[in-house]
Amino acid sequence: MVNPSLHSSGADDRPTRRDVLRQLALAFTVAGAGAFNVEAARVVHALAGEARAQPGGYAPRALDAHQYRTVARLAELIVPADSGGGSGVDAGAPEFIDLLCSQNDRLLRIYGDGLAWIDERMRDDHGGTFIDADALQQTRLLDRVVAAERGDVPRGWREGVRFFDWVRRMTVDAYYTSPVGIADIGYRGNGALSAYETPADATEFVTRRADELGL
Amino acid sequence: MAAIQPRTDTHDVVVIGSGAGGATAAHVLTRAGIRVTLLEAGPMLDPQAEFKEHRWPYDYGHRGAEEGGAAYFGEGKSFGFFTTTSGGWQLEGEPYTVADDTDDFWWFRSRIIGGRTNHYGRMSFRFSDYDFFPRDRDGLGWNWPIRYEDLAPYYDRAEEFIGVVGSHEGIRSAPDGVFHEAPPPKAHELLIQRASHRMGIPCIPNRRAVITRPINGRPACHYCGQCGRGCLGGSNYSASQTQIFPAMETGRLTVIDLAMARAITTAPDGRVDGVLYIDKRTGEERRIRCRVLVVAASACESARLLLNSKTAEHPNGVANGSGVVGRYLMDTVGFDVGGRVPALEGLPRYNSDGAGGAHLYMPWWGWETQEALGFPRGYHIEIGGGYQMPGIGVFGGAARRGGYGAAIKEEARRDYGTTVSFAGRGEMIPNERSWCELDPDVVDRWGIPVLRFHFQWSDHERRQAQHMRETFTELFHLMGGEANPPGRRDAAGISIGGSIIHEVGTVRMGDDPGTSALNSFCQAHEVPNLFVCDAATFVSNPDKNPTLTINALTWRASDYLAGAMRNGEL
Repeated sequence: MVNPSLHSSGADDRPTRRDVLRQLALAFTVAGAGAFNVEAARVVHALAGEARAQPGGYAPRALDAHQYRTVARLAELIVPADSGGGSGVDAGAPEFIDLLCSQNDRLLRIYGDGLAWIDERMRDDHGGTFIDADALQQTRLLDRVVAAERGDVPRGWREGVRFFDWVRRMTVDAYYTSPVGIADIGYRGNGALSAYETPADATEFVTRRADELGL
Repeated sequence: MAAIQPRTDTHDVVVIGSGAGGATAAHVLTRAGIRVTLLEAGPMLDPQAEFKEHRWPYDYGHRGAEEGGAAYFGEGKSFGFFTTTSGGWQLEGEPYTVADDTDDFWWFRSRIIGGRTNHYGRMSFRFSDYDFFPRDRDGLGWNWPIRYEDLAPYYDRAEEFIGVVGSHEGIRSAPDGVFHEAPPPKAHELLIQRASHRMGIPCIPNRRAVITRPINGRPACHYCGQCGRGCLGGSNYSASQTQIFPAMETGRLTVIDLAMARAITTAPDGRVDGVLYIDKRTGEERRIRCRVLVVAASACESARLLLNSKTAEHPNGVANGSGVVGRYLMDTVGFDVGGRVPALEGLPRYNSDGAGGAHLYMPWWGWETQEALGFPRGYHIEIGGGYQMPGIGVFGGAARRGGYGAAIKEEARRDYGTTVSFAGRGEMIPNERSWCELDPDVVDRWGIPVLRFHFQWSDHERRQAQHMRETFTELFHLMGGEANPPGRRDAAGISIGGSIIHEVGTVRMGDDPGTSALNSFCQAHEVPNLFVCDAATFVSNPDKNPTLTINALTWRASDYLAGAMRNGEL
């Protein structure tokens, strides 16, 4: 009875907006026929897909080339690709961050100052910018930032810790709001079903856990 | 000089407001053949343009963080980008004030056809029989001028028409109704149910205004769980789609949108003869004449309008000879906590969207042991959890714990779906220190005096909220989980007044014109052609979310109004 989630519908058979509105109207007037509500939701979903941003070359609007490359490298380190899914870059985190910075001077200043702090710290240690450093030097810096976040923040590191929280938060958000991140986490919804059911393996699992807890 | 002619521009019934009350009045009256003109302070709703049903975060460059990342700065839309709210805690050019005796009061106002029903939680609970005579039970507050039996037929009609899922349980605190088949429990809810049963707390199918079979041209729910975004098919109840649009199709409802009511006018005989309103498109004041007026602007807005209507015949404000208008403002007692339940780690992934909101809830269970509890009245518990669509901020905790790198993904995969939440929603006793009045110094952008709020919880409510906290702590303990510290709204151990958006009272009904403004048909004691049909009429605020009772009270009032018009009384 349960239809699969619809987010795999092909790009070529997307209906036009006019088709969608016509089918919706039809679905509502003959709603007694039962199955049409699923069809209505299907076309609404396809309409949403139509409006989806197309991937491709992105020209930064707010960050300069160096800043953008630094954000991209940070996004790769914060959310690296693994067998479960791609990286923060695959999920469009740099574009997301640049877009919002282009719309908000306060955010742009946070990134401008924060990226400068990271380069400065790397220069102190290795004489070059963050993206000039090798992977080990980069992760060592991030290790120190995270250690500072979890313990006593050394003098001069508060700003860097605060900025790292920004870039991490926005990278993680970009990842889990992208198709690759949604697939990774295993969200199965946003579909249109003709009936709701909780699968037997899920109910058996919680029943077992409740028994183990003595409930 | 011309002889006096009967006015041809007088409307039969004017309704102010298009939420649960105004829309039910428009719906019932137009079906009775009466012509209705409705004033709404916001614009017409266009579901096609407004609703974000089935959209993904990645359909938007900002992913739901809104332009410039407003959500990151606490400046995003109330309840998130994807919800269909039109309105908010603050409206530009429409301030309200909080008196010095009050720590804080929040007031959420919608300005759109359908009002807050476009996004509300759709919990649909009948009052219990005992909720109508609370003073007889514990000596606190006041009794209603009606009994359950008076309202039950209208609960039936409201449920039949708007559609409510539920099940027949025979629990006195939660009377059964006319229900659509409820969807089965979600997996995490089964675990919660086992814990609640250990505590002797019933945990039953939720009652929400969603349909699971087609009615009135509305298709059955398709289980995307996105009720709060607005449902293009109208499978959930919203006053706009379920009542206003069909009423417009009858040809008997005229909607004047962007019309901000300023004052009611009265004739020398004391009856209402019209309404002055601001046409927001031009900023000009206009007048509309009417035979009967139904005020349904939301509890506090309705009180504000009456208080702003000081006429020669009603110097204290229309329908306010008793001075009770604005008094006995109540909100729901709220306390919410979330927390992780490690026992849910490893639960197979599945589509848990469901019919929007929870599939189970816990009705009040302590009405027979009230004295031992140490506080009067009760509360119900709403449940959250499941595998929800990822969005901005959802994995913030996993990100911090993971630091950076592969650990973040591992934390997120383990965490996902293991958070559950409980929201206690309880009864506040009306008190003399919780009320609203006109601020003598502040006006809105149209020069209309605004409301000033006074609000105080008493120990009754604080003890009840403490009981909620202890109950939730025990539920988490039984499930092997741990509750997080409460959020900002509940930081004081009880919600901030108004923040549950269940404000009621302020124009209450009653048998005594000296202590109430309206009779039990929502008709003003002093002004027979004036009705107030929203939560302002409430005498008490039981632990039942108010919307269904607004529907039922308004249905009853509208039946009475239509009869009085037919037999020439109005």
